[in-house]
Amino acid sequence: MMALNVLAASFLTACAAGVIASATLPDRRVPAVLACTGSAMAMMLMAIGLTVLATGHLWSATLWTVAPFGALTLEVDRLAAVFITAMGLVCLPVSLFSAGYLLRYLGRYSLRSFGILYHGLLAAIALTLATSDVLAFLLAWEAMAILSYFLVNYEHEQREHTHAGYLMLVMGEAGTVAVMVAFLLLINAAGGLPFAALRHAAATAGVQTRWAVFLLSFFGFGVKAGLLPGSSWLPRAHPAAPANVSAVLSGVILNLGLYGIIRVNLDLLPAHLVGPGIVVLVVGSLSALVGILYATTQNDLKAMLAHSSIENIGIVTAALGAGLVFGASGEATLASMAYVAALYHMVNHSAYKGLLFLGAGAVDGGAGERHMDRLGGLIRRMPWTAMFFLVGALAIAAMPPFNGFASEWLTLQTLLRSVELHATAVKIVFALCGAALALTASLAATCFVKTFAMSFLGLPRSGAAGSAHEAAPTALAAMGILAAVCLALGILPTYTIPALSGAVAPLTHASAADALVPSFFAPATPGHALPASFVADFRTLGAQVGRHLLPGRGLIVLLRGGTDNPVVFAMSTSYAFPVLLGLIGLVYLAVHVGTRARTLARRPRWDGGVPRLDPEMTYTATGFSNPVRVVFNAVFHPSMADDTTEVVAEHFRTAVRRARVETYVADRFVADPLAGWSHGLARALAAMHRGGLNTYAAYVLLTLLLVLVAARLL
Amino acid sequence: MSPVDRAGASRTGIDALVRAEWPDVAISSDGRAATIACPPEALRGVCRRLFSDLGYAFGGLVVEDAQAVWSLRYLFYSPLAELAHVVTECVKPSETVPSISVEVHAADWHEREAEDLFGLGFEGHPRLGDFVLHNDVWPESVAPMRRSFDPAVRAPLHRPDPNWAPLRLVDEPGAFLMPVGPIYSDITESALFLLETVGEDVIRVFPRLFYKYRAVEKNAEGRSVDDGLLVAERFAATSAFAHSLAFCHAVEQIGGIAVPPRGRTLRIFLAELERLRHHVAAIEGICASTALAVAASQAAILEEQLLRLSGALTGHRYLFGLNVPGGLARDLETAACRETAASVGTVLHGLSRLREMLRFSSSFLDRIEGVGAIAEQAALTHGLVGPIARASNVARDLRRAQPYGGYEQFEFQVPRETTGDGYARLLVLFAEAEQSTGLLRQSADRLSEGPVHVPAPIRAGAAFGWCEAPLGAAFHWVRIGADGRIERFRPITPSFVNWHGFHLAAENFAFQDFPIILATFGLSVAECDR
Amino acid sequence: MSNWVIRGLRTPVPTTRFPAAPERARGASPGMPRATVLPEEVAADLARRCPTGALAAHGERVVVDPARCVHSFRCVRGVASPMDWNHGNEWAAPRGTDARPFGPLGAAFRGSAHILVVDAGDCGACLAEVKHLNNPYYNMHRLGFFVTPTPRNADILLVVGSGTVNMRWALRKAYEAMPAPKRVVAVGTCALTGSVFAPSFASDAGIHDLPVDVAVPGSPPPPLAILHGLLLVTGRAPAARSGSGLVDTAKAD
Repeated sequence: MMALNVLAASFLTACAAGVIASATLPDRRVPAVLACTGSAMAMMLMAIGLTVLATGHLWSATLWTVAPFGALTLEVDRLAAVFITAMGLVCLPVSLFSAGYLLRYLGRYSLRSFGILYHGLLAAIALTLATSDVLAFLLAWEAMAILSYFLVNYEHEQREHTHAGYLMLVMGEAGTVAVMVAFLLLINAAGGLPFAALRHAAATAGVQTRWAVFLLSFFGFGVKAGLLPGSSWLPRAHPAAPANVSAVLSGVILNLGLYGIIRVNLDLLPAHLVGPGIVVLVVGSLSALVGILYATTQNDLKAMLAHSSIENIGIVTAALGAGLVFGASGEATLASMAYVAALYHMVNHSAYKGLLFLGAGAVDGGAGERHMDRLGGLIRRMPWTAMFFLVGALAIAAMPPFNGFASEWLTLQTLLRSVELHATAVKIVFALCGAALALTASLAATCFVKTFAMSFLGLPRSGAAGSAHEAAPTALAAMGILAAVCLALGILPTYTIPALSGAVAPLTHASAADALVPSFFAPATPGHALPASFVADFRTLGAQVGRHLLPGRGLIVLLRGGTDNPVVFAMSTSYAFPVLLGLIGLVYLAVHVGTRARTLARRPRWDGGVPRLDPEMTYTATGFSNPVRVVFNAVFHPSMADDTTEVVAEHFRTAVRRARVETYVADRFVADPLAGWSHGLARALAAMHRGGLNTYAAYVLLTLLLVLVAARLL
Repeated sequence: MSPVDRAGASRTGIDALVRAEWPDVAISSDGRAATIACPPEALRGVCRRLFSDLGYAFGGLVVEDAQAVWSLRYLFYSPLAELAHVVTECVKPSETVPSISVEVHAADWHEREAEDLFGLGFEGHPRLGDFVLHNDVWPESVAPMRRSFDPAVRAPLHRPDPNWAPLRLVDEPGAFLMPVGPIYSDITESALFLLETVGEDVIRVFPRLFYKYRAVEKNAEGRSVDDGLLVAERFAATSAFAHSLAFCHAVEQIGGIAVPPRGRTLRIFLAELERLRHHVAAIEGICASTALAVAASQAAILEEQLLRLSGALTGHRYLFGLNVPGGLARDLETAACRETAASVGTVLHGLSRLREMLRFSSSFLDRIEGVGAIAEQAALTHGLVGPIARASNVARDLRRAQPYGGYEQFEFQVPRETTGDGYARLLVLFAEAEQSTGLLRQSADRLSEGPVHVPAPIRAGAAFGWCEAPLGAAFHWVRIGADGRIERFRPITPSFVNWHGFHLAAENFAFQDFPIILATFGLSVAECDR
Repeated sequence: MSNWVIRGLRTPVPTTRFPAAPERARGASPGMPRATVLPEEVAADLARRCPTGALAAHGERVVVDPARCVHSFRCVRGVASPMDWNHGNEWAAPRGTDARPFGPLGAAFRGSAHILVVDAGDCGACLAEVKHLNNPYYNMHRLGFFVTPTPRNADILLVVGSGTVNMRWALRKAYEAMPAPKRVVAVGTCALTGSVFAPSFASDAGIHDLPVDVAVPGSPPPPLAILHGLLLVTGRAPAARSGSGLVDTAKAD
């Protein structure tokens, strides 16, 4: 406990030091300072988070007491610890990466203000996660929102960026208002601000209150998490920010939205209804599908990653929804498994999305270009960045042995457990959402094949891509750390799952770890014991392989049958990894030995005999993803902004100009109509203001009359 | 309409419209063709009048390198009148001549070819260069068709110009160029197609031809008529008989030779046999392009039957070595011709069954209907000919428009369709195959006794000979010098004319339709490239 | 769809029995003149009549260079004493030099060989006859020959056409892109000697940039002659049997 206090204090000190140093030192020194203080802060956060997760003890510290509002208490429970650890995991490499990356802004934008804002943002995020009462939470939340707005707006000379930042602020604040109303409803029932008080009063809440709180908090926090329908800001704001900030936005701040949803709906007011769970599941699945569709057709590296963030948050949310349904249906263990899957995927997303955003930043810095149509062939000029980006792409496309595979598979498997539910309608919804997520997973593979191939393979399609240079060593180290984390989380799920299960257990009162990572194949329940002979068979078959080689458990058990159905579904990425390495080695050896005797002739690529194969004769990113665009035309709903043919003389064309404009689906159905209505309302109100004294007097009279009538009727 | 009427119609129309505006234009007629000699400055106006107001179609351009002048002969033809030659002369050393491509778009490629081969500048033509002589292989200064060019010159084998870049027109984000060819697909003639595309949707196709340029025109120069005939016959084997016929017509026209009736009827017999075989092969190509293997095999069986019938009857599967000036090189037995006509009847029976099955194969129709459509107006502007034009409701057929060889005595229809799409082109092929069979039967029945050949003295002079080749109108301009050798030979081929309009059919389509569009065009690259 | 299956099954099999038995159908081959003994002055006159110089008179004997014959029929039509005519179609002949003697593709290719067909300025006839090898009459698949569109999979380069200047570089690239072992089959008189088109500034007199292994004369060679060339290059037809009736071939070369 003392140690954690010291850590927390030094975190705040480091933050203060960072702010002061940024404010006083000259611009060119700021990146280095930021890298030191930022990574120190991140490491302290990780230390706090891991300690709480490892010990399972809640850490709290009362800072001061203000008379009417009660004590300001910082508190980190295991749930918050997961988020804090993930945050540290992302912020450490991001801070390192910033050392080299920020220098591109030297002389153009103020690096001092960046330093101040960055340190402030880290502190605000950490405080948001560590508060234990509504007021402090909302204050920290607002600080985080405003600081992140400033950072998105950092390249303020670009009009598009300021617009994106403004949109993010407006939508975020609208979400916050909804969240505040939800909290007011809770406070109203509890009569106090601390989370503990709210938790205490939850049992007595009525169905209407539950629905109201759920809807307000889910959609309020959903805006921050980038869920449909409030995701319009995300694909604009994330690409607008500098790459390191994008990594924080995608890897950390989106998590805060999820944190809010989990904190309110799982902890403060645990759901007893199936309905909210279904809503969460459907919204999550739709967000995932729409996110990946747009990601697949996006050609700007960072915009693609932003859409892909919506997809991943959607998957996490779908798993949360499944957990809510399981929980409301009394399947506590299944609920725990779903929550574990959700948190696991969230942590994974933080890791690989951070990595990919840093990779995009490295590409942008090295080639000065992030549009895939104008990239290509970077693997020759930027081999290390290419390798790390490939790790990130494989991870996000859910390819073993990386982390995306473990969590996405777990999520899908958990959804399949819906067969154990009773309501048919719910099962159908689960099946449809499962199908949507499966489609999402396959599109994700398409999307990242395209991204990697179009950016790093082939011929350079622009001069910028042809003369790209490798990123700075600190940037490579930052990406290397995240790549290693992606691999570690992928091959060691049996260590990750118990830790996450510990965080989830207080919410569901059931342990997923015992179900998912059993110490050994004990029968699931004493009543349905597996036959002793079967257990013995399994033991001899090698379920225990590596028990003495690996320091921990190696298998994830997804389903255990009973006596009537003696089967066990299990997988082990930990065991699979060395096997995979061995197989690759064997293949390499076989090829090496088998072809040693032959002479190898290298010929230029076959081009059909054209005089010259140009980069402009190779597939572009647009071309690669065009089939997806054609098939899902209804979603993209393109319109032709320009379809002109220029002629130099009759029948002699000189140019065919075409431009396609797509309106983002959330804009089309939500943001644009809303904006239209508010414009209309504003115009109507403006029309009332004629400035005549008599008119205003009439308004006053009319209002008075209405109030009187209303009072009489009510 | 009799030849006399035609001549009259032509002169009145041309006189009325041209004389009034350009008094210094000289118009004369020899009963077969009206010659309009006009100065370069009146050229554009006169051509526009003929094309837009009098309804003439542009036939082709013949450039001749005379001693002191460049002689440019623009051929126009119309079903209502005799041929019209617009002749203009540009005095050397000027190398600039006016371009008529903006007014008469069908002249576009003719002018580009002349610019490449003669080194003439066509003033007002917006796109010249890199056509016949590929810029990545030939220096811009080479003008091989000039008399001053040394035919012994050999191009050295060198690496293609690394700076060559194809013309790009499409400006759409993410659009790229997909090169198909020159060596592509399984068994195809060499041609490069540059597809501008955004993935699956192809916006525009730009064919780059003349990979097979063999300089047929230059080759024929200085040869005897007999040897020139070999070149004319063999530069495009799928229409060998038609081209040798057009060449012989020209020579016979110059020499004033009348082919005996039996020879004329046999020529019709053989020309229709060739047309039938060509169309069956084209139908096979269309079936194969839609991956309808059984249908393609059925058509292939019929094609091989026709080839064997041709081989057994004449000695050569592609009817080589038959036409000579004055008639045919050998007589065919009347009985054998009638047997062949009967056998062809069974081929037609198989073809009709194939058509009926295709008409009710929805998977086939889905792929071919509406694909590669060409509007009637576009077909007219580009001067398209043959089955392709007739599928777009332009019923041009030289057998009717400018009858030759006694076709006016036979009964046949000129089939046409109105939709202009791939399916319409297929239906026209089927219908023409049927008409050809009818002509085969009629000509076999009407074979009279008598010689098939008269001696053909070679005289100096120049004339057009023409014929409706399987793919459309073919005009051969032959000029024979005083020594009896060929001075200028210019074949104007239907493939050359129709490739010019290929891009009309290949716009804004899905990539997988490309082979189908190509197959429904069924054009010969050899006939275009020469 | 099923209609097509039934139609296909009902169609009798027209496939030739070649190479197991010779094909005797009329019209399957244009034939070619063969060495003939004639009175001396007639022989000289016949040799002169040939437009491509395929005939040479050695006293009373007129010998034929099949690589030059374009089937103009001028040595049989309109003459009193015509040349003898070979109606067969096994015309293909190996072409080797002392430095690079002919060797067929190895035994590994007897069951299956892939062919890249390149058109280097062909008039359309040779290409059509190559295409006919895929039709039910000749069906080269039954003999393990397959056409491939890419040189990377090709064992045999089948060239038609006289070798135009504009196609030179593409042809060279296609040959170089093929993996070894590889063989070149030149099909048609154009590809062997340029026929009536070459040599000129726009075209070579045949394919000389590449080492041709098997020559298939004819203008165009009938499908079976091409098939014979393919069998020869894969070592499945005896080289001696080729040129039966055209015994002078080797000497004339």
